[in-house]
Amino acid sequence: MRMLWLSRGQRALLNCAPISQDNPADHSMRSAVARAAGSAEFVNQQSFDRAVAALVRLIPIPPETAEWFSEKDLVVGPKWTWKKMVRTPAVLAISIAVLVIAGVSVFQVLSRLNDFPGSATARRLLTVAASTRPVMLDPVSTEAGTLSDLFFMKHGLERYDVPAEFADFRTIGCRVFEDEESRRIAQIWLAEKRMQLFLFPAERNAKTGAVLRFPGWRYVHQEGWVGAVTERSGVCFMAALRGREKDLEPYLEKPKE
Amino acid sequence: MLGDSVKAQEVFHTTLRDAAVRAAQGEVPKEQFWLFRDARWRCLEATKADLQPEQLKLDEHELAPQAASQIQQLEPAQLAIWISSAPDPQRTALALFYLDEFDYREILDIGELKFGELCRLLVQGRRQLQAWVDTKFPEPRNV
Repeated sequence: MRMLWLSRGQRALLNCAPISQDNPADHSMRSAVARAAGSAEFVNQQSFDRAVAALVRLIPIPPETAEWFSEKDLVVGPKWTWKKMVRTPAVLAISIAVLVIAGVSVFQVLSRLNDFPGSATARRLLTVAASTRPVMLDPVSTEAGTLSDLFFMKHGLERYDVPAEFADFRTIGCRVFEDEESRRIAQIWLAEKRMQLFLFPAERNAKTGAVLRFPGWRYVHQEGWVGAVTERSGVCFMAALRGREKDLEPYLEKPKE
Repeated sequence: MLGDSVKAQEVFHTTLRDAAVRAAQGEVPKEQFWLFRDARWRCLEATKADLQPEQLKLDEHELAPQAASQIQQLEPAQLAIWISSAPDPQRTALALFYLDEFDYREILDIGELKFGELCRLLVQGRRQLQAWVDTKFPEPRNV
């Protein structure tokens, strides 16, 4: 039987018909093979191709060629050096992340090291200082040290004394207000470098009620403001101004601890 | 593709090394059979300076019904030599086709051949091989 009834394209396809694939993936090839399946010419070609392919499989592979496909590495890749490993995007990203985490941790640890009882309140009051305008205070022009009596007599605040280091400075105004924890805060505005003074209750032990004391002056920073805080007789005093620690240092009698 | 095992080894290692470098640089081509095509070109390049097969008009015979039994009488090495001494691109077409690992579209891709060209090369290859085995193992004449 000849393949005269096949189209020219199908006859061309049969010349490339797969040798051992019974079901070719190509639709047109599958169709051509199906139509030619019974033809003696195609059967003869297929048996010829199978015989050649079988013989090709028997072609001996030279031993030196067979060695290429042994379990040895076909290509020895370049060695990984530390430099190269560090430049890998994944390692680089992890390293940066670890550095950032470490930086934040160190920053928090250092911040904690500078903490003292009342430091959180002091920072909040620095924010108050930054937002306070002179009109918000009662105008009082006197020496800061004399305001202790005013606080006691007018507001019943005991031991709200301005330390000797700041007692002689002239005031512009003062006020007493309550913070969000209903603690009464005294605020004094000085003419000297537009400095502000704050007096507020010291932190106490939640169980015993004892005052949590700390010695000397401690610094706090918030939004470009700096405060020097000390505790005396259960009341904390803070002198605050916009600037740096060295701007406050000259006013403090003793060096900070 | 190459009769010289030293050259074959060189081509093999060069191809793999180049592929590894491309992979490391993220420059692996998207074409499926680029590695085979690359290896084929290296083989052709390696044999460019060698003696080339003569452009002879080989005898061609129609496939005989007993062709399969004639082929079976051949030594595998004889067939290997016959295929490797064919001029390219016929050598490529026959080698890839009778490896029986690729379909015709893949052979077109690897060998960078046109469909009509592949058909012609395979048909011609079969007829030439038939003529050769006819010479080596002539059909006994019926008296």
